Amino acid sequence: MERNQMHRQIANTRKLMFDQGYLDEQFIQLEELQDGSNPNFVEEVVTLYYRDSARFLSNLDQALEKRPLDFSKLDNLMHQFKGSSTSIGAKKVKTECTHFRNYCNARNAEGCKRTFQNVKKEYTTLRKKLEAYFQMSRQVGPVETAYASSVVVCTIRYDTIHSLHLNIIHSNLPLRRCAARSH
Amino acid sequence: MCKKLVQMMQGKIWMSTNSQGYIQSTSLVLRFQIQQTFNRPMFDLTNFIDQPKSNSIFRGLQVILADDDGVNRMVTKKLLEKLGCQVTTVSSGFECLSSLGPTMSPFHVVILDLHMPEMDGFEVATRIRKFRSRNRPLIIALTASAEEQVWERCLQVGMNGVIRKPVLLRGLEIELRTVLQRAGERLSS
Repeated sequence: MERNQMHRQIANTRKLMFDQGYLDEQFIQLEELQDGSNPNFVEEVVTLYYRDSARFLSNLDQALEKRPLDFSKLDNLMHQFKGSSTSIGAKKVKTECTHFRNYCNARNAEGCKRTFQNVKKEYTTLRKKLEAYFQMSRQVGPVETAYASSVVVCTIRYDTIHSLHLNIIHSNLPLRRCAARSH
Repeated sequence: MCKKLVQMMQGKIWMSTNSQGYIQSTSLVLRFQIQQTFNRPMFDLTNFIDQPKSNSIFRGLQVILADDDGVNRMVTKKLLEKLGCQVTTVSSGFECLSSLGPTMSPFHVVILDLHMPEMDGFEVATRIRKFRSRNRPLIIALTASAEEQVWERCLQVGMNGVIRKPVLLRGLEIELRTVLQRAGERLSS
């Protein structure tokens, strides 16, 4: 029962991130790409994102220190960072990136600096939420490999020595019809 | 022997006999681990049904993906693989060109991010089209831009299609299918 509670908690945590606008459908696409052969795909992509984007953010920090500001370079850096943020579905981060680029186009230095603080804030907030979410998920193990056992009782009739018929007389789960023949 | 096998599967097996002592039937109780498919939510099952249709035309398609962003590379590659493609990734225009080489390229499709540092997608496409090889790969651009001039320029340098970023499975599938069909039509005309 505790396991079910944990699953529900994880589902709620996830739903909240969407409801509060931290994540969008791109994140769902990542989840859809996760399967048995890549059971940790989402976490791997997100980890890569936080690792690679640290570089963009520090480059942006440095570029914002220069006088005068090179708006073209700032825009270029932000374009790349926005791209990968979009790929993982980081909705609020993406929005702040767009604001930043608008200020770049308007050559508004104050606007750029102010918005960049917001970018970093949203980036960090999302990171904490995702880390907590992944940690919870790891505790219960991936849902797809969680298993329940099904009990099947069947009789095997010997009609002829050439075939064996499996009659399923009881099962605690719905089963697909399949033929079992043995030679 | 059967008994041993069943016991190893943590089940039980026993025989029931009829009144004359002949074995009438054997009963078998087994435990099964539920396969992944049962646990997937509904939308996944629909994907699974669609897959044979969408995968078949892309199966075995050799794709080279050039994108300087690691996250985008990882995601786009997975999307392409989900469609059945065989994907090689490179992180720059230079790597892309050296993988294609001046002679027969083993790749059917080149998917290029337009916005790469050092050598952008336009430059790469221009150089690919200069190859005198008979195997001309299909080139599809990846761009966040929705501007018509950008898309027109793609066609001018000899690209066959454009996909808007962020890449979605459906968009990727549709554009790939369109580009392949057009190429097929050109060959048969």
